Amino acid sequence: MTGRSAQDWNKPPALPASHFTDGRIYRDDAIFAEEQARIFSKVWKIACHESEIPNPGDFRTVEQAGVPLVVVRGEDAAVRTFVNVCSHRGARIVHEASGNAKRFTCFYHLWGYDLRGACVAIPRPDAYEAAGLDKSKLGLRAVRTETRLGLVFINLDDNATPLAEYLGDALEAFEEVLAINDLQVFTYQHATVEANWKEWQETNLDLYHEYMHVALRRTQTNPAAMAERELIVYPNGHIRGGGAGYKANYKDYKGWEGRSDSHALKGLTAADFRFTHLFPNSAMNARGTVMRISTFTPLSTHRTRIEWRGLGPKGQSAEDWKLRSKHYAQYWGPFGRNVPEDLLAAELCEWNFRNGAAKYQLLAREEGMRGQDDGFLRAFYAQWGRMMGRTASDPFGDSKKNG
Amino acid sequence: MSAEIVRGVIHRACRLLDAEDWDNFLAICAPGFAYQVVAHSPEIRRDMIWFDQDKDGLKALFEMVPQHLRRIGTLLRHVSVGEIERQADGAWLAISTFQCFHTDQDGRTHLLAVGRYEDRLSIDGSPLLLSRTTRLETRDLGVGSHVPL
Repeated sequence: MTGRSAQDWNKPPALPASHFTDGRIYRDDAIFAEEQARIFSKVWKIACHESEIPNPGDFRTVEQAGVPLVVVRGEDAAVRTFVNVCSHRGARIVHEASGNAKRFTCFYHLWGYDLRGACVAIPRPDAYEAAGLDKSKLGLRAVRTETRLGLVFINLDDNATPLAEYLGDALEAFEEVLAINDLQVFTYQHATVEANWKEWQETNLDLYHEYMHVALRRTQTNPAAMAERELIVYPNGHIRGGGAGYKANYKDYKGWEGRSDSHALKGLTAADFRFTHLFPNSAMNARGTVMRISTFTPLSTHRTRIEWRGLGPKGQSAEDWKLRSKHYAQYWGPFGRNVPEDLLAAELCEWNFRNGAAKYQLLAREEGMRGQDDGFLRAFYAQWGRMMGRTASDPFGDSKKNG
Repeated sequence: MSAEIVRGVIHRACRLLDAEDWDNFLAICAPGFAYQVVAHSPEIRRDMIWFDQDKDGLKALFEMVPQHLRRIGTLLRHVSVGEIERQADGAWLAISTFQCFHTDQDGRTHLLAVGRYEDRLSIDGSPLLLSRTTRLETRDLGVGSHVPL
């Protein structure tokens, strides 16, 4: 029983190719650029919730694949998305995170755009006539947008498959909850984590990491149900966890009162816990009385911006919002029990892969797609590999080169 | 003199939190003490509550701190007490600005957050904190914190 030599340490694990990743996928600049082009510029992402833009002219600015976007509700109530860049000199048009506008006016030369993206104002336009510039062809770049169950999805790819086809049945754990509850976003936070986006996503998809959450494991969780819970994988790399009937136990968490079913979202009990991840960067979680939407944006090989939205039923009293805020913040807030641990775990792995000290991640747990099986991670990297035309375990084809 | 007592309690509270001397911090909190951390989100145009505990809840939370995975290092709260007013109910309200720094085990320091403390205090008898509301300007807290700032 000794440590391994450098040669052994650097050698790929003797595992099926689907059961490990090569650390270079976390730090290679070319792979990162390729991910932006082949994955994030092609997939549907949750941009926001409809409750964030309830009225005509309401807008939210978001980002995907490094592209700034503005999501806006039109006078016809339709939700549209545009690249937040002026057709003239490429300046960012909308600077606020949210607001209401009748039109968007670029600060630079006051070119204006209506809520359908048409260019409707150019100061002193006569000077463009000689060059034949046609205002009707200077609209904003429109981005594919679809709404489903209150979720606003965007896709940078004009030729992407329709949202319904992309999702398949992946929303089934939340279909009823989203359909019968009139929800609104009541809390929002973001964090920039020093980790590759896949290292962050691994923390989300690795159920075995529950051992890290000591306080959670000793109090809130339900070990028997955890071992039996089913892992469901859908086409296109989406996954569903928690399983029907999986319940958390909150009563032993010291200092925090239990959660009453009277506050549960319709279609859930207070103890219900479920989650769905949509490949690659959108997710939904429910903890009985509150829901969470998580998304993230890769910023570089080793920086990722994560956003979280908490949702509860509209029209509640101030006291009710206070209670739901507490339920949400206990686990998922920046001072919560779980999220700070998850973020730190991603960062603590990242440094070792960035400098090459760590070579491989092992995704080799098999429990028949139950309990703490690594099946979610393998499904994630299978989809990553399909879109990238590489395998995560051998991203540069070394095994072929080396015979 | 009253203002000096108020300033003293606020500085002491920060020093005790920095030292993670939970017992002595709780000792200067009144039985009905409430601690909230709040922030305003321009994204959703709402005020949000990110931390909300009474004295018992804080005590339980502090007991769990050693069980949590945390970034190794120390926090230092630099506080500047500004307005101090006596309220109609006899309590004192103090508005302070603060900066909270994290120093890692290699001695590297970075600014974690800035904001304001709104403290209510009683200085009749032994000075006590009645409540603290921490209003954060900083909303990207990186990995976050298992203790209130």
